[in-house]
Amino acid sequence: MLTYEPDESLAHRLDPRAKLAVQIGFAATALAHTTPRALIAFSALTAVAMATARLSLRRTLVSYRLALVVLALAPLLAGVTVGPPWFDRSAAVASGLASYRVLLILLVSAAYVRSTPVRDSRAAIQRTIPGKPGQLLGVGVGLVFRFLPVLRGDLRTIREAMAARLGTERGVVDRASTIGMLGVARAFDRADRLSLALRARCFAWNPTLPALAFSRVDYPVLGLAVILAVSAFY
Amino acid sequence: MATDQHSVELVDDDVVKPFARAAVLAALMGAAVFVGSIPIPFSPIPISLGVIVVYLAGLYLGPYWGAFSLLLYLTAGAVGLPIFAERASGLGVLVGNSAGYLWSYPTAALLIGAVVHRLSEDGDPADLSRPVLVVTLLAALTVIYLLGAAWLGYVLELSTVKAIEIGVVPFIPGDLIKIAAVVAIVEAERIAT
Repeated sequence: MLTYEPDESLAHRLDPRAKLAVQIGFAATALAHTTPRALIAFSALTAVAMATARLSLRRTLVSYRLALVVLALAPLLAGVTVGPPWFDRSAAVASGLASYRVLLILLVSAAYVRSTPVRDSRAAIQRTIPGKPGQLLGVGVGLVFRFLPVLRGDLRTIREAMAARLGTERGVVDRASTIGMLGVARAFDRADRLSLALRARCFAWNPTLPALAFSRVDYPVLGLAVILAVSAFY
Repeated sequence: MATDQHSVELVDDDVVKPFARAAVLAALMGAAVFVGSIPIPFSPIPISLGVIVVYLAGLYLGPYWGAFSLLLYLTAGAVGLPIFAERASGLGVLVGNSAGYLWSYPTAALLIGAVVHRLSEDGDPADLSRPVLVVTLLAALTVIYLLGAAWLGYVLELSTVKAIEIGVVPFIPGDLIKIAAVVAIVEAERIAT
């Protein structure tokens, strides 16, 4: 599973905002170009991004397995035609190149995920998106992070309780609605207790954020992000 | 630490409650990818809870907080929580092959929430008649398919027909079952608005 791992790599020392900017720049230019030459350059850049985050290619590919199936299937399906010549090579190649750039975009974003703790991402969101929407998104990301294991436990309990009562023998609509209803009812119970706790603790629009500061290594990275974003138009 | 030296500006009570619900529902959407799915007969794709939560977000949180809840889900996944399908994460997923589906979720919740907001005085989806509810959910599903298949076709350079073959047809049986499940949830009236 792809997630943050503490390490001393160069990517771990970068400011999350610089890393986010590079990903956005890279995605913009990769979506705009699918020539083989551009893809070679993107591949090299992806390799650099992965190396700076010390990302394992094999493990990353495993965590994106669902996307890989679609990316591998798309060119094959694009080439198949009903009637002669049965397989259109040029359509398959065009789709293959397009699929490959999506894979590169995923790998670059994996480098960010491995090198950035959620706390830093939260601070980056709250500092970059202005006003109350930014505050709510930032705090919200923190809460999702906190409640994810709790709700996983809730859902697992619901499913085990259903299985113990032979719920697995019931119809699929019945099972899906029971899990959905109990899941949301429990989640809302938790949310209402959370909102009481937030009010009791003076939940404010202007909280104290973890420190974030650009260092000397961040400026070239930001420069790269700008170059990538501009190159999307050429 | 960047402490704000000005006076503390408290978040209003009428914001805290829906905000907490939206955040917890986004976490539930993420938790759904961990707990496995229900296999259905004659279909290779099992049912996951995910899209059910999208519908329920629109129905029970209303247009704005429902859409916010799903934007929060997308943001949390983008910054590295493993909550996208098959425990994937990262900003790349939000522009990758399944990006159209993901971005359609807030739009679908907005649409469903707007209908509930218009037809029910106190925002209770149980006030909607069954046909209206079914049509609303089908319209939301259409939005999800439309945006999902359109982006899939664009980003992988597939023709419209092929994008529908790969990105819509395999999911239809499961999605219809999910809509039936959501109708059952609303009619049971066990979730407090």
